[in-house]
Amino acid sequence: MSRSSTVEEPVLATGIVKRYGKRTVLDRVSLTVHPGITGLVGPNGAGKSTLVKAILGLVRLAEGGVRVFGLDPRREPHAVRQNIGVVPEDECSVPGLSGVEMVRYAAQLSGIPGIESLRRAHEVLDWCDAGQERYRPVETLSVGMKQKISFAAAIVHDPRMVILDEPTNGLDPIERRAMLGRLTTLARDHGKTILVSTHVLPDVQSICERVIVLAGGRVRLTGSIRELTQPAIPEERLEVIGPVDELVRRLIARGIPARRARPLDLFPSAAGADGRYSAAVETVTPGDGANEGVVLLQLTAPHALAAMWSEVHQLGIRVSSLKASCRPFEEVFLEALQAAQASPTESLHAAP
Amino acid sequence: MPLHDVGYRPWQGRRSGSLAAILVIASTGIKLAWTSRWLRRAVFFAWSPALVFAGSFFVFEQAIDEGRLGSIQDRARVGRNVDGVGILGRVIADSLGQSDAPPPGQHETPEEETDRTRRAVWSRLMLAFMRSPQAILLAIVVGLVAPALVSRDLRAKAWLIYFTRPVGKFEYVAGKLLILGLLVASITMLPALALWMMGVAVSPSIWVAVTTWDLPVRIIVASLALAIPTVFMALAYSSLTAESRIASFAWFATWAACWIAHASLTTADMMQQAHEDTLMSENAQTADSSNAADGGFTAEDASRRSRRSNARPMGPGGEIGENLSDLLEGRRPRNGPPLNVRQFRWLSRATGLDDTIDRWAWISPYHSLGVIQAWVFGIERRWQAIFPPLLSLGLVSIVSALVLWWRVDAPARV
Repeated sequence: MSRSSTVEEPVLATGIVKRYGKRTVLDRVSLTVHPGITGLVGPNGAGKSTLVKAILGLVRLAEGGVRVFGLDPRREPHAVRQNIGVVPEDECSVPGLSGVEMVRYAAQLSGIPGIESLRRAHEVLDWCDAGQERYRPVETLSVGMKQKISFAAAIVHDPRMVILDEPTNGLDPIERRAMLGRLTTLARDHGKTILVSTHVLPDVQSICERVIVLAGGRVRLTGSIRELTQPAIPEERLEVIGPVDELVRRLIARGIPARRARPLDLFPSAAGADGRYSAAVETVTPGDGANEGVVLLQLTAPHALAAMWSEVHQLGIRVSSLKASCRPFEEVFLEALQAAQASPTESLHAAP
Repeated sequence: MPLHDVGYRPWQGRRSGSLAAILVIASTGIKLAWTSRWLRRAVFFAWSPALVFAGSFFVFEQAIDEGRLGSIQDRARVGRNVDGVGILGRVIADSLGQSDAPPPGQHETPEEETDRTRRAVWSRLMLAFMRSPQAILLAIVVGLVAPALVSRDLRAKAWLIYFTRPVGKFEYVAGKLLILGLLVASITMLPALALWMMGVAVSPSIWVAVTTWDLPVRIIVASLALAIPTVFMALAYSSLTAESRIASFAWFATWAACWIAHASLTTADMMQQAHEDTLMSENAQTADSSNAADGGFTAEDASRRSRRSNARPMGPGGEIGENLSDLLEGRRPRNGPPLNVRQFRWLSRATGLDDTIDRWAWISPYHSLGVIQAWVFGIERRWQAIFPPLLSLGLVSIVSALVLWWRVDAPARV
């Protein structure tokens, strides 16, 4: 954890313990946030907000320590916060300021001087598609617009890491997609480290490279989202239009393990606590039954891919997509929580 | 997509430090506070008393310029007003009566006497200005601005904006203090300095600026003495609630309640003193008649009479002390226009002419500040008068600062 190390992890927490009175909120939490987009998920009261406060140096830890880009947030809070932008979950504003004044104020507080802060505020608001709404007082704006202003204020000073708490709260589907796109751009094109704390698990799966699951003040699961959502047996997912059942029969005949996807494969989150589906979900068949559907197949054998394309061609089937099959992250998350309830002191998985 | 959207670009300029953050918080706070129409009115109104005091400076300097100082002193000796400046004439007249005389045997040139007299008069005028109208206006202006400064941030969760950025508690508190400090300075220090400059401008010689060089320093110190306890106390109230109305109420209630408590205790003292005087007077009459009958006068009688004389709030102001005694004893004042007890006492305390020790001053912020300002202007020098208010204001400032320090980032810690 030397400060002079050339490769500094954005966040490195080692055995941190935080207690409020007798209640332990973070219990020997050790984790690393790598560059890229990391999801921080967990049920309410899991300790996510306290972890973010620990990263910002706002709370005094009972044990352990946090390093942010090699710096101790308690000793050098200003230097750490220069490198961090935060989008809090709660609506926050300085009453009386307009949107652009708010972002400019944030820029000035972060050390961007005078007129440059105004130029920068407008530039970032343009990028966030804030429009003319930026001239209205913040307290009169819609929830979605406030979220944009808050996001613009968090990134206006060009931080190395952005921490977002429920960034898609209050956004319509189009704005939500745009927000996720901005996060991806920041991480991919500008090398920012993004830490997203959210309950919207599909968002985590769609943009995050890594995930940290917190529950009961402990890290229950951490690792690459690709690894965590990989099925036990690697499968490909083929979406087709044509005689699906015939394709499956032929693939099996050629020694390629294949099956038509059932609701269990596609909508695991609809399952009840006992793993069974309601009658309504059971009647759903992906596609229209005969001529449209999803095939799950294993293409591990040599020439399996060529054989599959040959059968598809012979049957005149139209392929909508072919991609690696993965488990929904929601399923992984629920498993982690169930394991946490069963064994409160054990981590389910601790991938590097 | 906006016409000028250039995408997200890195920023690699030179960042400013903590001082800039303090200035940004202060300037934004003043800008937001200035949107209040009531604040603008209050600040504008706060400068108007300076015009009245400017008239006093002008009349006094005009008298010196025309060689009428002796006449003013003569008038002061008989307790008459100085022409043309109304009630402030009494301040000038009695200042002349109270100005420090040179030590016995030391010769004083007419110029030295003029300088000494000028310093005495200007100091009292400044004290009167800063204490009577400005300290009250300060309570109003601070009460309009301060309650919202921290409580509004707590309510709108603006602390998330500050403490997730390179802004620590020190910068935050310093920025908020600076907002109030600048407002307080704008209604106390700046008009007082303007008065001093005007006094120099209307005086016969520019050298008056040199002979009164300490007055601007005293004005600055007196303004700080006004600002520090009041500003800390107001911000502490603001930090204790997310509702600025509650903080406002607490602020004005403190001033009013303490003032009432002070007035009640002082009045009780005065009534008790008057009662004791009456008893003493009756005893003395009895003793006199008895002595007259016996034809003797004992040392004990002399001592009792002396105590009786000292018990009265008589000041070296001579006529003022006599007037006050007259009023306290229910007689029409021998000198000057008729004033009721309360008016007279208030005026004489406000201007430092009543030199009895206000033993309850420490209860009321207004009266404590008055004593400290009198000390700063060199008018009050008795430690037993200065210490209780100084201790009271010091404690208020320290406790308020601790509360403020503890509360401003409290939401971030939980």
